[in-house]
Amino acid sequence: MREVVRAIVVGFILAGLLAACACAGGEEAKTETIIVAGDDWGYPSPFAFYPRGPGYIRMSWIFDTLTWKDETGTIPWLADRWSSSQDGKEWTFELHKGVKWQDGEPLTADDVKFTFDYFKANLAGLRWFAALEDVDRVEVKSDHEVAIYLADPVASLLDEIAGNVPIIPEHIWKDVEDPTKFTASETVVGTGPFKLAEYDKEEGIYIYDANEEFFKGEPLVGRLVSTRVSDPALALKTDTVDAAFFWGKEIDAVKELEEDKKFATITGPSFWVLQVIFNCQKSPTAQADFRKAVAYAIDREEIVEKVTHGGAIVANPGIIHPDTDWYNPNVTAYAYGPAKASELLDSLDFIDRDKDGIRETPEGDKLSFVLLTTAEFTREAEIINDNLAAVGISVTVKALDWSTIDGIVREGDFHLAISGHGGIASPGILESPGWPSMTYKNEEYDALYREQSQTIDVTERLELVKQLQAMVADDLPVFAVYHPLIWCVFNPDKLDAWFYTKNGVATGIPTEANKLVFIER
Amino acid sequence: MNIASKSAQYLVAFSVVLALNFFLPRFMPGDPLAYITADPSADMPVVMSEEARQELENYYGLDRPLVEQFGEYVHNLVRGDLGWSIYFNAPVSDVLMGHLKWTLLLVGTSAAIYVALGVALGVISAWKRNSKTDTTLLVSILSLGSWPPFFLAMLLIILFSAKLGILPMSGAETPWANHSGVLARPLDIGRHLVLPATALVLTHLAGVYLLTRNSVLGVLGENYILAARAKGISERDVMLRHVLRNALLPIVTMVALTLGFLVMGAIFVETVFAYPGMARLLYDATVIRDYPLIQGSLLVLTVLVVAANFGADMLYSRLDPRVRRQ
Repeated sequence: MREVVRAIVVGFILAGLLAACACAGGEEAKTETIIVAGDDWGYPSPFAFYPRGPGYIRMSWIFDTLTWKDETGTIPWLADRWSSSQDGKEWTFELHKGVKWQDGEPLTADDVKFTFDYFKANLAGLRWFAALEDVDRVEVKSDHEVAIYLADPVASLLDEIAGNVPIIPEHIWKDVEDPTKFTASETVVGTGPFKLAEYDKEEGIYIYDANEEFFKGEPLVGRLVSTRVSDPALALKTDTVDAAFFWGKEIDAVKELEEDKKFATITGPSFWVLQVIFNCQKSPTAQADFRKAVAYAIDREEIVEKVTHGGAIVANPGIIHPDTDWYNPNVTAYAYGPAKASELLDSLDFIDRDKDGIRETPEGDKLSFVLLTTAEFTREAEIINDNLAAVGISVTVKALDWSTIDGIVREGDFHLAISGHGGIASPGILESPGWPSMTYKNEEYDALYREQSQTIDVTERLELVKQLQAMVADDLPVFAVYHPLIWCVFNPDKLDAWFYTKNGVATGIPTEANKLVFIER
Repeated sequence: MNIASKSAQYLVAFSVVLALNFFLPRFMPGDPLAYITADPSADMPVVMSEEARQELENYYGLDRPLVEQFGEYVHNLVRGDLGWSIYFNAPVSDVLMGHLKWTLLLVGTSAAIYVALGVALGVISAWKRNSKTDTTLLVSILSLGSWPPFFLAMLLIILFSAKLGILPMSGAETPWANHSGVLARPLDIGRHLVLPATALVLTHLAGVYLLTRNSVLGVLGENYILAARAKGISERDVMLRHVLRNALLPIVTMVALTLGFLVMGAIFVETVFAYPGMARLLYDATVIRDYPLIQGSLLVLTVLVVAANFGADMLYSRLDPRVRRQ
């Protein structure tokens, strides 16, 4: 009898505990805090974030744009629908109804017009929104309709302008004269899913609270924190953060974390390219065949394997990232071919006449160059050094800091440099393929670039963008070496919605922290 | 030397430093725009035309003659305006203050500890020279001090944060904490301070310890110590009153001279612990060529070093009656 009573009592207690747990669990789902690894990327106002992808992303959690992107591409956002005129110079956007600013005021078509006027008048401080230079004017058509008029058609309008410019409230900004120096708390009133609760520049910490009035419904995450950590892998293991992001050479840390059942991982494209930059105006790098010889001589597979440990893919010589809609898979591939490189060099009459292992030009100058690089790419440079030595080109690796290299390369005082840049999800990056070097001049290429930038028809434009890539691969103002991979390692028990955005967020930002991850879809 | 000429000396030195702070960064190759448009580590480049570059140069006043820019810098400085950080997009004084307080806390605490500890251990070592205690101290402090600071810092993190989980891994305080009670926040800051301060103490201890040991050994051989002992003064009093007072002089000089370096020397420790201090800031400012921020940081450092020297001067006259009498 006693046992029965005890069993019943224990049963009741257990049931009570379970109920308490379930209850607490239920409440937790609503108020859960998600902490992601980050850094200081500037005050998240549209005019104060540092001009970097993560800075834009931290601003975009508060501010919305007319369109946005998910894993399939462009989607309606503040605008439900849009249409363009035949010539592509007039775009009409129909705004979602009932959207409210975080201070309770309603969003109107006037705010949208004000935003574009205001950004156009304040371009100098922040070049992120330079595409606005093409906007002629914006007109309010009705309470919920605005029209954007362009001087020339802008093919990338939905990404670079509608999907990039954060709409700001007129009632707050109308009297602000220098927006970069305006950092009062009302600077960060947007329409987005999160409100800024705290920002600490020194500690690199952002704290956001869910915006319960968000027009797409209350966010899944009650509190979102982005914090600087010194070692992301360690921070994950100690539960300091719920998600951390890794890049290229950090693959070893990712592999180790993947062995831990507690974590899940997704892999994505960095939209970044490491490249050898050639000076197209200085002999002998001015000769396309010489540049091709260098390209054939470089073993990119070896670099990917030995330097990045497989944390990258061999690059598209046409620069644009293979994971985007704009990729041309049929450009000259430059498979590793030292024999082919030697052949090209021989045909240029660059021959090792004095048998010292280094070829000379017909004028007798040795093929001996300085290869500029920043400290982070010296291992890549060393392999390139060996590769080129094997075909009779002597290279001295010189590591400098980026500001110095940028200066030298822009002045055109170099032969070879190794550097990298992002932004290769969008055809816009093809405007100056040798960037930051300005030594590549090709009028035919420039005309083609202009044509695609004004071609509204997507299929036609894709054809032109593919031609541009083929030209870059043939002319080689730069030789693309590799595209790093990126990873998001996260605790799926906390949040399991992570994904990579098709063609990147806004202008092509590679990120796991698209705000869609944190809201119910 | 009278006060007027001493002040004049300080003023000249200060002006020279001010001018160097202004011109040196500008003579380095590159400019701030290389980083606000894009560096290789940026995921999104802002590719700019030459016109756009000029527009930006104009906005930040970088296209004006250097002398004119210097004039404006000095003019603003006199009014207490340190300028506007180009990269961080905030007033230089705000950026500096945000970092300076943490550096002063970290470096101040560590310096106090390693000076006190170094002197104490140095005296013990010298006192018991060639004993087991001396050898143990010498070997262990020297081997600790010869480890690179970042390695030591990583070890501390792995041991106390990752394995034992008793101390925080990075930062200067817990973010988003709702501290209850008056003491909660200072305690939290203290907990964050333990590991970075330990790393700094361990790496800097050896210098003070060795100097003290040598200095004390030197003084111990002096005739007046023999005289003191002959008078029958207890060994403890000889040590504290006669030996240490005289042995301290070179230590004070060394600590004062190294204080400026210590602020910069914390860079590895600050980086490993993601501690928001000055060293990391100045390093970043230099890499990105943020001229106003470099000037501001160097100015603060200059002031710190001058203040430390002044402090040493004052202390010296208290410690050494000969200086006082001059």
